[in-house]
Amino acid sequence: MNTLLLLLQDFGLAAVPAVGFAMIFNVPKPALRYCALAGAIGHALRFTLYKIAPLPIELATLIAAGVVSLIGVYWAQKWRAHPKVFTVAAMIPMVPGVYAFTALLALVEIERKGYSEALLRTAMDNGLKAFFIIAALAVGLALPGLLFYRRKPVV
Amino acid sequence: MSVPQITGVADDQREITRLCAQAGLMLLQHGAESALVESVVRRLGLALGMEAVELVLLANGITLTTIRDGVCHTTARRNLDRGINMHAVTEVQRTMLLAEEKQLDAAGVARRLDEIKPFRYPRWQVSVMVGLSCAAFARLGLIARGAEADVWTFVLTFVASAVAMQARQWLASLHFNPLVNFAVTAFIATSIAAQGVIHGWVDSPKIAMSACVLLFVPGFPFINAVSDMVKGYINTGISRGVMAVLLLLACCAGIVLAMTVWNTWTWL
Repeated sequence: MNTLLLLLQDFGLAAVPAVGFAMIFNVPKPALRYCALAGAIGHALRFTLYKIAPLPIELATLIAAGVVSLIGVYWAQKWRAHPKVFTVAAMIPMVPGVYAFTALLALVEIERKGYSEALLRTAMDNGLKAFFIIAALAVGLALPGLLFYRRKPVV
Repeated sequence: MSVPQITGVADDQREITRLCAQAGLMLLQHGAESALVESVVRRLGLALGMEAVELVLLANGITLTTIRDGVCHTTARRNLDRGINMHAVTEVQRTMLLAEEKQLDAAGVARRLDEIKPFRYPRWQVSVMVGLSCAAFARLGLIARGAEADVWTFVLTFVASAVAMQARQWLASLHFNPLVNFAVTAFIATSIAAQGVIHGWVDSPKIAMSACVLLFVPGFPFINAVSDMVKGYINTGISRGVMAVLLLLACCAGIVLAMTVWNTWTWL
């Protein structure tokens, strides 16, 4: 499939979990479309940086989260709400859920079957990946505060 | 010799302290990060005429002191987690902004805070959307692997996660411990997805099994944990992070139990 089509598909698919999880977080209704848009932009941007550029996934995540957070600050000032109202739901499609579960399940397997290097490697590889991606997401979200709004509130 | 005079706390300062505590507690209960709680409470207190508001945050409580004309008034509140609710957080923040713009006085703030009813989406809507979300995750997983789209994988993922989400909301409404809730509902989700593997309904059983439990990943607590720690609130950050890892572990227990019962070890 050509790259543009893949990118569009990625954009559309990422919007769905952003809205779904925004509803779990009870984001007010008018803000849901911003969550969808931010989620789609973030995930598609990461897809571009990671697959096409290609950057390491952690760095791609950091940049995507930073860009979404800057957009979130703009919306937050217009909408008089904290940027996290929009941006955390937008991060959900990028949260490394499968890595985190695989790491923990590998640990459980070590307990069940006894130590083996392959299982420990699975646990370490996936666990570290999950940790670094989540750190990149959170630091990316904090970037506007760390760089531009150092001693003043965003809203 | 004169007896040192003990200065009483004026009634309006006591009232403002209460309002600050109420606002802070509401933010903490509904999943706001520590930096936001502290800044909203401080700005609310200053807007209502305090000289300073000092706040100590813990994962399960909040202590704050307001200071005016050298008179301090301190109060503590216990925090019970009410679940993430961005609507409540937004409303508290807007109340603070109105007070800052001098559109609300202390009485107005009290009225507005009391009127906040945390909004919730209807359960079935959330379940359907979360089902679709997990199906979208399944599709994203298939793209990442370069596999062909398989409609039945999405259908199975949708059913498993929507049913699990409905059960999760139901158990939460009965006030079960979140850890118990997550373990039971992860068992349900994996059990439904495992049927597809056993009966050979789907081409990519591994994707369906892993995508249908993604609704349990505590993304918000994880992100809050890291941002708390980045902003210097190490204590609350650690509490939130440990809680998030425990929730994941509870899910793992449910998944492993389901895989043992149905004897489908597709994860690893």
